[in-house]
Amino acid sequence: MFSILRINTATGAVKKEAFASTEYLLGGRTLSSRLVSREVPATCDPLGRHNKLFFCTGVLAGTTVSSSDRLSIGGKSPLTGGIKESNAGGIVGTRMARQGLRCIALEDAPQDDAGWKIIVIGRDKIEFLDGSFLAGKGVYDKSDLLAERFGKKAGCITIGPTAEKLLLATGIACSDPHGVCSRYAGRGGLGAVMASKKVIAMVILDDGEVEPQFLDQENFKEGSKKVVNLLKANPVSSLFTKYGTAAMVDICQALKVLPTQNFRHGVMEGAEKINAQTMYDTIKARGGEGKTQHACMHPCAIQCSNVYPDKDGKLLCSPIEYETMALMGSNLCLKDLDAIAEMNRIANDAGVDTLDVGAAIGVAMEAGLAEFGDTKAAVRLMEEVRHLTPLGRILASGCKIAAKVLGVRHAPHVLGQAIPAYEPRGTKGMAMTYLSSPMGADHTFGFTLRDEAVPTSKEGKVELSKKFQVIGSRMDAMGMCNFVRYSVQNNMTPLLDLIKAHYGAEISEVEFDDIVKETLRIEHQFNTDAGISHHDYRFAETFYEEVQPETGEKMDITDEESLLARQW
Amino acid sequence: MVIVNFRLSEIGRVVISLNDPEKWETLVQRCAARSAIELGTILAVRRGRLLQGDDLVADGDEIEVFPALSGG
Repeated sequence: MFSILRINTATGAVKKEAFASTEYLLGGRTLSSRLVSREVPATCDPLGRHNKLFFCTGVLAGTTVSSSDRLSIGGKSPLTGGIKESNAGGIVGTRMARQGLRCIALEDAPQDDAGWKIIVIGRDKIEFLDGSFLAGKGVYDKSDLLAERFGKKAGCITIGPTAEKLLLATGIACSDPHGVCSRYAGRGGLGAVMASKKVIAMVILDDGEVEPQFLDQENFKEGSKKVVNLLKANPVSSLFTKYGTAAMVDICQALKVLPTQNFRHGVMEGAEKINAQTMYDTIKARGGEGKTQHACMHPCAIQCSNVYPDKDGKLLCSPIEYETMALMGSNLCLKDLDAIAEMNRIANDAGVDTLDVGAAIGVAMEAGLAEFGDTKAAVRLMEEVRHLTPLGRILASGCKIAAKVLGVRHAPHVLGQAIPAYEPRGTKGMAMTYLSSPMGADHTFGFTLRDEAVPTSKEGKVELSKKFQVIGSRMDAMGMCNFVRYSVQNNMTPLLDLIKAHYGAEISEVEFDDIVKETLRIEHQFNTDAGISHHDYRFAETFYEEVQPETGEKMDITDEESLLARQW
Repeated sequence: MVIVNFRLSEIGRVVISLNDPEKWETLVQRCAARSAIELGTILAVRRGRLLQGDDLVADGDEIEVFPALSGG
């Protein structure tokens, strides 16, 4: 049986329920999206009392299996108006598993003038504490105060000051293994949803005593080792450990899909100044607290994260990911890793998604509020976000809102969520994926780029995107890190064998993929019920009218074609 | 002469003379064999286009090779 802890944020009532169904077994996005679909009225106000926020662990959470402790957070998105699942690394999943929880649901909402609360979940009790001392503070300060009060080993979840103001591009920050809330479920505005429930932090104490029970412990141990051995056997995985996701800068530049100048171009002259090798060399040269290899959760054999130090070797930001390097770097024509790291740090502190706000700053630059390539101006715009100035609030509402307010037509988003770091006119496979995701433009969901023989052609991209939508959703479906794919690649058997050894549940690969597809169906149905039509799954019209200079391509995917890629 | 740049790899830059066009999959294996490094999955890009295994590589081509990593 798997437990869900339901917390009514208006009344303080708490209820625990237990279920043994497959959705609770798998947890992750399989569970969060089903709960949202079933319990959240699709047409509700995402910041109102009818929305709910579900925090779900995955099927192997709390075990020794590498990278199995992702926390999947689901609700209705105020950014897209549709269903949202956003997940994060860190230690919260582990702590929930030790408390015997598969899911925590935040339900209802108090009056707007209610005070901020911290919900503390421990072995013996669940408390609502006064959280007013955290209000208005940055996430790093909040994180320090929470660690001081509850210990660095507590699994903490908090939001930034931008989320407190219910801004739309805000995320939820989760504790990393050092007790710092730096691991973000960044996308879709779920930070604002948490704030709408007047919950400024949630703490899972490190006093849980629930140990995983294995039906076949020996097989489980063997299976766990196998996953790590498969990872080691893949020559690419060591490079991933060394360079992390930053390696994509060079790949996208070579393929002419590196977002540049508010997605006007796909190539940035001087991109090597912000590429993986430069980042690696900089971290190594500066030493100090810098790390080129870092785990966002334990255990993790991949360790693709990093710690980027300042010139004195002090931690400036952890992690810096490719998507941020592009949206806060090349997309703004910035060629300065220190500036990108600084902007990333401010974003983490303010509690905003680096992709959506990076894209919003690109829009602001196109509107003439600053010059592309002006590093100081870009950092200043991030400071506006941190200080909640009127312009900062607009930027923290994401690129769609920013474009509307600032009079920019070339707004890089789908369903209101910023396009990730692959210029869609140059990669029609990724474009098809952006147009097919129930979450708004998303890249992890159907990563076609490596398998597109002719990236600029839309031929065959419905099928290719659908293939990778399933592959890309598998890990989310069970709460695993996406990069476990470097270990098992496209063969799910080693992971399904672990589920069998742990719980005795036999799920075939076909059955598992059917569950993944059913999740996609449910998510799309929610969006339809929410009033999102096939006309909404489009890029801004400028992408269809204007050529991307380096590839000579316009967007040419029709509504009918993208509809096919959303049908399951 | 064909120039193959293995980015983010110890192999580095490899220059190979070709009399006749050769399939990329055989050429890249020759490059890897020279340095005795296992390649794993790679992405090869020529003039902004992904190169497939059976594409022919000819004299004068310059190819960028990357480990097949992904963003996240």
